[in-house]
This record gives sequence, structure tokens and C-alpha cells, in this order.
Amino acid sequence: MNSIPRRASRPVLAAAVISTFALALGACGGGGGSGASGGDDSVVIGYTGPLSGGGAAYGKNVQTGLQMAVDDLNEDGLEVDGKKVTIELKSLDDKYAPSTAASNAQRLADQDEAPVVVSPNAGAIKAIQQINDGRSKFMISAYTSDPAIMQADNALTMMIPPNFESYAKPYTEQGMKHGGKKLALLGTESEYGQQWTKAITDEWKKAGGTIGADNSISYATVSDFAGPVSKALAEKPDSIFVGGPSQPTALIMEQARKQGFEGSFLVMDQAKLDEMATVTKIENLTNSIGVLPVKEYDDPGNKDFLKKYAEVAGEDKVATSETALNYQSMAIIAKAMEVAGTTSDPDKIRAAVPDALSKVDDKYKVNGFPTKITDQGHLMNPELEVTYLNEDEKYTKIPVEQVSDAK
Amino acid sequence: MNALKNPRILGTLAVLVVIALTPLAFGDENYIMRVITVGLCSAIAVYGMNIILGFTGQLSLAQGGFFGIGAYAVGLLTTDFDWSFWQAFLVGVVGTSAIGYLSGLIALRTKDEYFAIFTMAIGFIIFLIISRWESVTHAHSGVNNVKFPEAGDIVDFSNPTAMFYLVFVILLVCVYITYAIRRSSVGRTLLTIRTSEDLADAIGVNVGLSKQLAFAASAFFGGLGGGLYASVVGFIGPDAATVDKTFEFLMFILVGGMGTVAGPLVGTMIVTFLFEFFQDFQAYRFIVLGPVIIALVIFAPRGIVGYLGGFIDRRARKRRIGSIRTNGQSRSDGATHTNASTRAGNSADTATTTEEEK
Amino acid sequence: MTLFIQQLFNGIALGGIYCLAAIGLTLVFGVLRIPNLAHGALYMLGAYVTYFFLTTVGVPYVAAIGIAALILFVLGVLLERLVFHPLRNAPHTHHMIAAIGAMFFFQSVAQVIWGADFKRMETPISGSLQILGAEISAQRIVIIVTAVIVLGLLTWFIKRSIHGQTIEAIEQDRTGAALVGINPAMVSMLTLGLSALLVTIAAGLVSPINLLSPTMGAALNLKVFAIIILGGLGSLPGAIVGSFALAIAETMTSTYISSAVGEAVAFIVLVAVLAIRPTGLFAKAVQR
Repeated sequence: MNSIPRRASRPVLAAAVISTFALALGACGGGGGSGASGGDDSVVIGYTGPLSGGGAAYGKNVQTGLQMAVDDLNEDGLEVDGKKVTIELKSLDDKYAPSTAASNAQRLADQDEAPVVVSPNAGAIKAIQQINDGRSKFMISAYTSDPAIMQADNALTMMIPPNFESYAKPYTEQGMKHGGKKLALLGTESEYGQQWTKAITDEWKKAGGTIGADNSISYATVSDFAGPVSKALAEKPDSIFVGGPSQPTALIMEQARKQGFEGSFLVMDQAKLDEMATVTKIENLTNSIGVLPVKEYDDPGNKDFLKKYAEVAGEDKVATSETALNYQSMAIIAKAMEVAGTTSDPDKIRAAVPDALSKVDDKYKVNGFPTKITDQGHLMNPELEVTYLNEDEKYTKIPVEQVSDAK
Repeated sequence: MNALKNPRILGTLAVLVVIALTPLAFGDENYIMRVITVGLCSAIAVYGMNIILGFTGQLSLAQGGFFGIGAYAVGLLTTDFDWSFWQAFLVGVVGTSAIGYLSGLIALRTKDEYFAIFTMAIGFIIFLIISRWESVTHAHSGVNNVKFPEAGDIVDFSNPTAMFYLVFVILLVCVYITYAIRRSSVGRTLLTIRTSEDLADAIGVNVGLSKQLAFAASAFFGGLGGGLYASVVGFIGPDAATVDKTFEFLMFILVGGMGTVAGPLVGTMIVTFLFEFFQDFQAYRFIVLGPVIIALVIFAPRGIVGYLGGFIDRRARKRRIGSIRTNGQSRSDGATHTNASTRAGNSADTATTTEEEK
Repeated sequence: MTLFIQQLFNGIALGGIYCLAAIGLTLVFGVLRIPNLAHGALYMLGAYVTYFFLTTVGVPYVAAIGIAALILFVLGVLLERLVFHPLRNAPHTHHMIAAIGAMFFFQSVAQVIWGADFKRMETPISGSLQILGAEISAQRIVIIVTAVIVLGLLTWFIKRSIHGQTIEAIEQDRTGAALVGINPAMVSMLTLGLSALLVTIAAGLVSPINLLSPTMGAALNLKVFAIIILGGLGSLPGAIVGSFALAIAETMTSTYISSAVGEAVAFIVLVAVLAIRPTGLFAKAVQR
């Protein structure tokens, strides 16, 4: 029937495919010219993160923070080595796959001459660490709480958030105080979830508590949380460890309350209590220990940041630390380039970070702004706090003693 | 050298020569070298799919899993057990083939769609084991610092160009094996099975054993590609073994052309670069790529190499008919008629590649 | 014991969800003889369209599911016309890849329209029932009841109505059906539309107890394929038995062994069953 148009279209299609291929090769090969050549008037900061697929929401939050900072910094005007420089954020999608992330990072460094590449996923960062300090050189702005990336001794890695292991102790203390000695494990079955489960297990046992079976489930693929929750509750726990992305975590807690659980929750830092309150009633979330919501921080730029975020993302979206911390760190990177007097030498930019920290404008300090960077490259704020959401739906702050990144 | 007059062989050689020369042009471009080298590793696994799918006609969707086993064998043995790359590589490839052979024993009892989805389940179980057996595979934390191949002081494989040529040489062997199978009686046996299992059985082919060996061979290539991949990228996570990986391979072989010698390589390179090219569209790229993929299978069902092969055949046939016509023995509409019937044949059974004997 | 009963009900509700998703897929296989890998994407779109009518437009819950089901029916017909019909003579590999292309496309479209964030769908159905000491939420009861009703209607449709009988006729003998004047092209469109409609009902029912995201269909996809293969491709009773068997196996192994085994059990059962019966539990005589 339709064989005649198809006949005509085949050569056209073949030609289209071949020309696309040629174009793609050309674009890849000739990319160097289009990027910023060092010392010009613009610099590309690279970002590779999950922008489609299961991790897309997370990747987008990070991207929003970076883009907000870039816009603000460009408005302020950045001057490096006597020249006015505009920053351009170039984002590539890696669908959470480490090997794709490494290819993307390599591309951003090679073709766009990005001195810094941001990545928000421990696996991806480990893959990128294989290539960033050898034949190609670029700094990794690493948004992950996994200290393993610091143990790699990569001179060009800057770790942004606090080490998650620091949370285990205050979580255990508070969990026992508001619940009891018996803990059920119901975290997410992801790389990060498994590490958290292990850290909490160790600390909880050290404090003399008992632990039930590991009921970790894949938050992304379970169709109905009632089953896993029933199972965890059958152990009659006093406290439950939960956590994965905010929204499914909220559903699990809601389900547990519905099935009659009255103890305390330990909420892994990936889930944000205020963001969870957008999908379930906050009364389901009380009596739980979690990370402090962005809006509870007292940093000088906090209020303005939240206002701007509402304009960018809409009123009903909650600003999370993914956005806030990357907003801050982009300002640090820009300041470090200014101090180092270069936009092309990653070693010098990294070396300038300690000086840059004290020089960043107050308006970029929004979420526990770091005051120092360790020798290994971890940004630190000595006053780290977690929160306990009490029965009156109020966030109380609890100071955290930070642990070392060494193994 | 009769072979060099065959446009198909010439074309394949041309593709190989172009790829062999890429380090000269892009040797300093780490990104392009990386994409090409990783692409070659995938292409090796796709050659495995070519044997079981292209030649034997069995849609195996476990290839991503086999790729993952090869990658993890090399990854874990060279790091946690501190073996040399070559030892680990050997064990990985042999192990993958053995696992392939064993799973084939059950898988090949099923047929058609059952076989396809059954092998998909095998691939998924492999993925689940890799992503959940934390104490052995480190699950989502992945395996870091996979070793480069050792070569004493002769070659330094941490150099991307050296690694490229290692993968390329192994790929060449795979291409040659494919070519040899295609021409040998083994290849004809497999093609007969693809055409009709009953027919093959009737003429005395041991269908079960042949399929079994073809399946093991496809696992062998999968392990080979995976093992090299682990060393090339240095860090592997469970994403090396996902079912999506299988579908990626399937896309490569379809775009290139099933059952052809050059198809897997051409398809892999074209689709890989197409995906990289569309990266600039970020999350929106699949709005364009989705329909492109659909259009490719609808309008170029035999793949690019299959399409070019068909083109060569038509030209050859035209020339033949043309020469006959000058002898005054042909009817005036002979050429168009033959042409049209070739078309009809193509669209009726798109899996059949033309001119099997070449 | 309470735990067992609790989990049994949870398993049955999960089975209802799998069942509504699986019967459409197995029908499509019976008629078009293609494994439609885009089925999970249709499920996801069904959920989002329901969400759109319920939350953004503000129509009642049941009406929202109904409107979404009709829209998805049209989408299913279009998918058949634009993607699968041109490939009707191609081998299955081509369908699979085309379906994956469609899946990528649908996922991207959903992300562009509704964003990558998880969405929660609130329903008017709330509260819970006490059965033998177990606490069962009303939504899960609704899922089970609806699954039974929809299955009943579907059986009636296929056995008694003219359009439905054409589906069964084509399943049984394509050439014969064409000879007696049934148009296979029409039936193909009808079937794909119907499968999209059924999966939308499943999505509309599940969404309130889960979350919406552009990738929500991917996890369901693999399991539903395991189910229809286990039951025997194209077999309705097979899909129903397979759904409930795998769902209960899944909740029970998660409860009494471990959640990792629970996740894998569907595929382990599949491998075991196919090793003994290579054509599934309720295999039909396969026409070639």
C-alpha cells in the first residue's frame, strides 16, 4: 500500500542518518573552538547529573542551585586577572550511570575547557576520579556525603556536604531518647541507603540497642509500601530507620503511622522533612530525627535565597539542601577563580579555595556556609546541626560532632 | 585476491581502516578516544548478539547480563583479589561462556517470545545479584581502580591510544570470526536454523547443540567486551549489567544490520555518536531520539549495512540484466520487474539478509 | 498470624494491580503477537492524565479515571497505527526497539509536562477496615473489587460482544478470521486501545497508594512481562493466575525471607516454571 512513499524515503533517510553521524562527529571534533579558550571573557562550568530517568528530580534540584548562582554571579560581575568574565553553566545528562558521567565530564573538560565539573552522585564521582588528575585536569565539585571519595586522595576533588557518618551518633542518641532500644531497618536499597543502614546499625549496636532484620527495599520500584511496612512493624520496633527520596519516604512514614506505629523515626539525610510535608500531613512526620530544613538556617543570605528560589521554581516547591549547597559552592568556585587569577588552571583554583572561603559575599551564604576546607578537600562548617521534629510540629536543633573522613 | 573485488568486504575493510586511524586524528582528544574505545567494547558484545540473533535467529536478551559478568569478573578479581588483568580476563571470559552455556541448557528449551523474555529474566537476575550481593560485588558502591592490562615495559596501557589498539585488535578478531562463521558450514547451519528449525532438523542438523553453542558463543563475546570495558573505564557499577544495556546492544545491531559482518560495528559507532550528539538537549533528547529510533526500524528495517548491501545487490543485478539485455534476450520491463520483486521480498521478510553466500 | 493475614491482603491487592496491567499486555500479545515494551509507559501516562483531570481540572475521582482511560484508548490506537502497524510484517526485534523508542518518548514528554518530581494523588477514598485483626486500607479493597469487576466485564466483552469476539477470533486464527470478513487492522487498533484503557484503570487505582513519576512504569514493566510469560502468552486465565501467584509470592518471600529475595522471586519462579513447562502454565496452541 504505502510502499511507494517508503521507497522514496529510504535514500533520504539513509542520507539523513549519515549526515547526522557526520554532524555529530564534526560537533565532537570541532567543539574546542566553540568553548571558552582560557583567559577570554567567559568560562564554562560543567555539570553532569541525572536529568532524565529515575534520579531526574534530584539532578534538576542541583542544577537549579548551580544556575541560580551563575545568574547571580554574572549579575554581580566577576573579574579574573583584570578581565571581566561571564560564567556559563553547561549541563549534560548521565541518567545516574557512572560511566556516562565520566564520559560527560571528560567531554566538558576537553571540549568546553571547563576547569570545574559538578557531579552529585558518589558512583559517578568515583568514575570521574579515574580521569580528572592525569592526562586531563579538572576539578570535581563533588556533591555527595560519602567519605569514600575523600579516601581516594584525589587532589582535585572538593567535597561539599557533610560526611553522613557524622549523623549516626546524634541520630542514635535522639532515636533512643524519643523511641526506645529496638530499631527496625526500612531504608532504601541504593548505594547510599545501604551505607547509611550500615552506619546506623553499627552505631545503634554500640549504644546497646537491638536491631531487626534488614528490610531495605527499593523505594523506586515497590508498587505498594504496605507490605514492607507491615513486615517491619511485626518486629514491634521502638524506632524505625527510613529514608530515600523525600516523597516515598513520606509515604512509608504515613503508612507506618496508619498501621499504628508510635515510636520515633530516624530519617536519612536524603529525605527532607519539610519537603516530605508537601505530600503527607506533617502530623505523620512528627517524633522524627532528620537533617535541618534549609529554611531553618540562620545564614545571612538565607531569606533572599528562599525568595529567589520561589520565583524560579514556584511557590509550592520546597528549597532543599541540594539546591542551597550547590548555590553556595558555585559562589566558592567563582571566588576561587578570582583569587587564583585564572579560569583555566584547576590546580591553582583548588589551591585558592581556602582563601576564597573567607571572601565570599554574605548573600551567597545560605545553608551552613563552610569556614574551612580539609587537606583532603572537604568543605567544613564546624557548627553542623540536625533536627528533631517534635509533637508540636516544631524543629528543634541538635548539634553534631563531626567525624573524620578517614576510613 | 577475489575477495577484494567484493564491495562488501571492501566496505568492511574501509570501516575498519577508518576506525584504526582515529587515534591519529583524535589521539589527544581524551573524550573522543574514550567514547570510541567504550564503543568498541560494546561492539564486541554486539558481535555476540549477532551470532545468536543475526545468524541463528534467537532473540537473546541476556547479553547485558553477560557483559556485566565479564566486567565484574575482571573488576573484582583485579582489585579485591589482586590478580593480574590477563588472569582475570581469561577467567572472566571462560566463566561467562560457562554461565552462558549452562543457562542456555534451560533457556533453549523455550522458543520465540518465551526465549526472548526468559533470557531477559536471566539478564535481570544477573543484574539483581550484582546490585544486591553487597558483600561480594560492593553493590551500588561499585568497583574502583580496575587494573590496566600488564605488558611489562613494552606497552603502557594506561595510555588511551594503547588501550584503544588493544580493544581494536580483539575486535578485529571478532570481526574475522564472524566473517569465518558466515562463510563456513557452521554459519550455514545456523542460518538454516534461523530460516526454519523444522527444516534444519529434517536435513540432519543437530538443532539443539548448534543453538547451545551459538548461545555460549554469544556469552563469550559478551564477557570479552565486558572484561575490556572494565579495564577501559576503570570504575564499574551495576549500570554495566542492566537490561537497558541489552536493549542498547539490540539497538546497535538493528541500526547496523543483523546477520552482517560489518553491521554491529557500524551500528554501535553510529548510535553511540548519535546519543552523544543529542546530549546537548539534555532531558529533552529522547523527545527527538525516540521517534528517530522508531523511524529507523520502520524505514530501514535491515539496518544501514543491510541497506547498503541491498543497494550493492541491486546494482549488480541491474548490471547483469543490462548485459543480458544488450544480448537481446531480455524483455523490456525485466529490470523494473526484478527490482520490484526484490523490494517485495525485503519488506515481507526483513530479517533475511540478502545473498547469504557472500 | 495477624502479620500473615495482613500480608495476604497486601499480596492480593498487589495482585489486582498486576492483573489489570497484565491482561492488557497479554491481549496485545494474543492479537498482534508483539511484546509491547511500551506498556509500562502507557501505565505511567495513564496515571498522569488521571492526575491532571483530578487535581488540575478538578473532576471527581471516578470521572477522572474514566476520561483518562478514554484518552489513553485513543493514544493506544494511535500507537498501533503509527508504530506497530507499519511494522506488522517485521520480526519481533523491530517491535521491541520501536516500543523502546516510544517508551523513551513518552517518558520525556511526561517529564517536560509534569516535571521530574514525584507527585501525590489524593483520593476521596480513605479509612480502613479491620479484617481478622489486620488493618486493610479502603483503597486496597477498592483495588481488589475493581479488578474483579473489570475482569468480569472484560470476559463478557470478549465472549459476548461482537467487537470482543473479533478479538478472540483473531487470536485463534488470523487467516480464518480475515476470511470471514474480520478486519485484522481494526482489531489490532481496538486491542491496543483496550490494553491502554485497562492499564490506565490500574494506574488510576494504584496512584493514590504510590507516587507518580515519569519512570513509574519501568519497574512494573519487567514484572508484568514475567507474569504473562509465566501464565502463557496470550492467555487471559494465565495472566490472572500469574498475577496473583507472583504478587503473593512476592509479599510472602519479602516478609519471611528477605526483601532482596522478594524482588527477585518473580524471576526465579519464572525460570523454574519455564524450565519445566517451556510454554508457561496455560499455553495456547500457538499459531504460526
